[in-house]
Amino acid sequence: MAEELGHRHRGRAEAGLGVKTLVLDVVVGGLTTGGIYALVALGLNLQYGLMRVLNVAHGEFLMLGAYLTYALHTGWGVNPLLTLLITGPTAFAVGLALHRLLYARLLEGDAPESLESRSLLLSFGLMFVLQNAALLLWSADLRGYSYLAIPLHWLGTVFPANRVLAAAVALGLGLAFYVYLRTSLTGKAVRALMQEPEGARLVGIQTARIHALCFGAGIAMSAVTGSLVSMLFELTPFIGLPYTVTALVVVILGGLGNMLGCLAAGLLLGLVETAGVYLASSDIRLISSYAVLSLILLLRPSGLFGR
Amino acid sequence: MAARLAWTTLGAALVLAPQVLAPYYRSLALAILADVALAVAWAIFSGPTRYLSLATGAFFGAGAYTTAVVLGRLAWPLPVLAAAVVAAVMALVVGTLALRLRGPYFAVFTFGLAELAKHSLIWFETSITGTVGRLLLSPPGAVALYYTVLAVAGLAVVTAMALPRTRWGTALIAIGADEERAETLGVATTRVKIGVFALSAAFMGAIGGAMAPRWTYIDPQVFNPLVSFQTVIMALLGGPVTVAGPVLGAAFLGLLSEILLVKFRYLYMLSLGLVLIVVVLALPRGLAGLVRARRPGCGSPSPTL
Repeated sequence: MAEELGHRHRGRAEAGLGVKTLVLDVVVGGLTTGGIYALVALGLNLQYGLMRVLNVAHGEFLMLGAYLTYALHTGWGVNPLLTLLITGPTAFAVGLALHRLLYARLLEGDAPESLESRSLLLSFGLMFVLQNAALLLWSADLRGYSYLAIPLHWLGTVFPANRVLAAAVALGLGLAFYVYLRTSLTGKAVRALMQEPEGARLVGIQTARIHALCFGAGIAMSAVTGSLVSMLFELTPFIGLPYTVTALVVVILGGLGNMLGCLAAGLLLGLVETAGVYLASSDIRLISSYAVLSLILLLRPSGLFGR
Repeated sequence: MAARLAWTTLGAALVLAPQVLAPYYRSLALAILADVALAVAWAIFSGPTRYLSLATGAFFGAGAYTTAVVLGRLAWPLPVLAAAVVAAVMALVVGTLALRLRGPYFAVFTFGLAELAKHSLIWFETSITGTVGRLLLSPPGAVALYYTVLAVAGLAVVTAMALPRTRWGTALIAIGADEERAETLGVATTRVKIGVFALSAAFMGAIGGAMAPRWTYIDPQVFNPLVSFQTVIMALLGGPVTVAGPVLGAAFLGLLSEILLVKFRYLYMLSLGLVLIVVVLALPRGLAGLVRARRPGCGSPSPTL
């Protein structure tokens, strides 16, 4: 069965080469998808792990980042990869502003359980506002451009260069952020606040400042992922929510607040999904990600790699 | 006393309304009544327990789809009853699984439910039965629909008023205040939660079932997450811990959506989001909380969601 599929996809003659190609296709395809998932989920995880703010508008920032890159590339001819230097800082500033205007008011002084559902509702409101503002601005038409859509030949199969590039950048940024969290003083403060909020405050860590920084960083990661996604797929204002759901699945798979688990889970989900699409059909993809989400919520609420 | 008079007058006016209203206003009243029923039904469970349920769209959709399947085989209003039963059974299953989850986990799980139901149904219909939707032939008349929805809404309001006076109502408030303590004190928390969740779902399913004949064609898109959000926003806007709150919120947003939704769809959704943000930040107890705040010392301290 798998061999037949391999033949149909690539039209190769030898059966042995077919299997090898298929496995390689799934692995590389899965890792490139998974790299994207990992970065967008890392941003969501940072916000939730630190502030217990479940930002369901997360994917909308990915959508906005993608549109910003699209506008810069088609309007001014800026190289899509260079637009990351614009979308990232812009989104970071927007994140700081949103934290200041909306979330800081909730984070100060509320009971935790009420904070979680109220911040959830707040971000649902944000989701409606951003998605429909984008619809008013850009309409529901598909938008896209072609960038680096050249084939890379490697080990007897072919990969689109832009996918490999996007995934490499995404994974690189994700790992760099992880290293930053582990080694820098700010990173140490972030981890201290995650583990022991009261103790962290006692030793003089400025909670509000760290919250604002992490909120901005989370949104910047989502927007930067959007810039990468815009190189690969056509855009509509609706692309955000599926990424939010995927990021949620990844975060819950990897364990809330667990950054390395999140990176691993992103790659894992990419692999599983790609294999599923190769073996079954693409209709099953959405069902399976919701089903995986529900199952993990029910069976292992602390995540696959949970403590 | 004054409150009872107001409710009675409102009820009588609504019963007489189809006799005097032009068809457009009757259909507007019907839509708002359905919103009221959904918001009140949502608040029956989520108001006192503070479990944020986003499953309304799933139960509404299940009810609507049930009617679409059985209409023509059962005499009106039996399809509505069937819709209520299907939604309640679905809630029993979902509740047994999900009501162990707290906080955002529960909200995310229930949010995914409508999408999961929709996509599973699409998959089931295309690959097993070979259809993607159902035609609703020979629907009941408009006035019959109005009275059906009015009856369901009235029943929901009466239930919401009566429940706090029962032992289960007290148990719900105890669960919302501190679930572990309630359990320690001997409240059968699981049974109460699942039971009331199913009761609230039955009303949502009944409304879905009663509203289905307004569309002549129904497909799995009827499982709409927007219904879940609209319901939460309506209840929160009014204030979820009173009965008048969700009624007020639903009437207000129902009118707003009627004015904006058809002409400016995106603008309506955008303003819905803004309303939600403002409510969460500025009105933690809803519009009804504003009234209450001006009259201190009346009523019990109301929890915020």
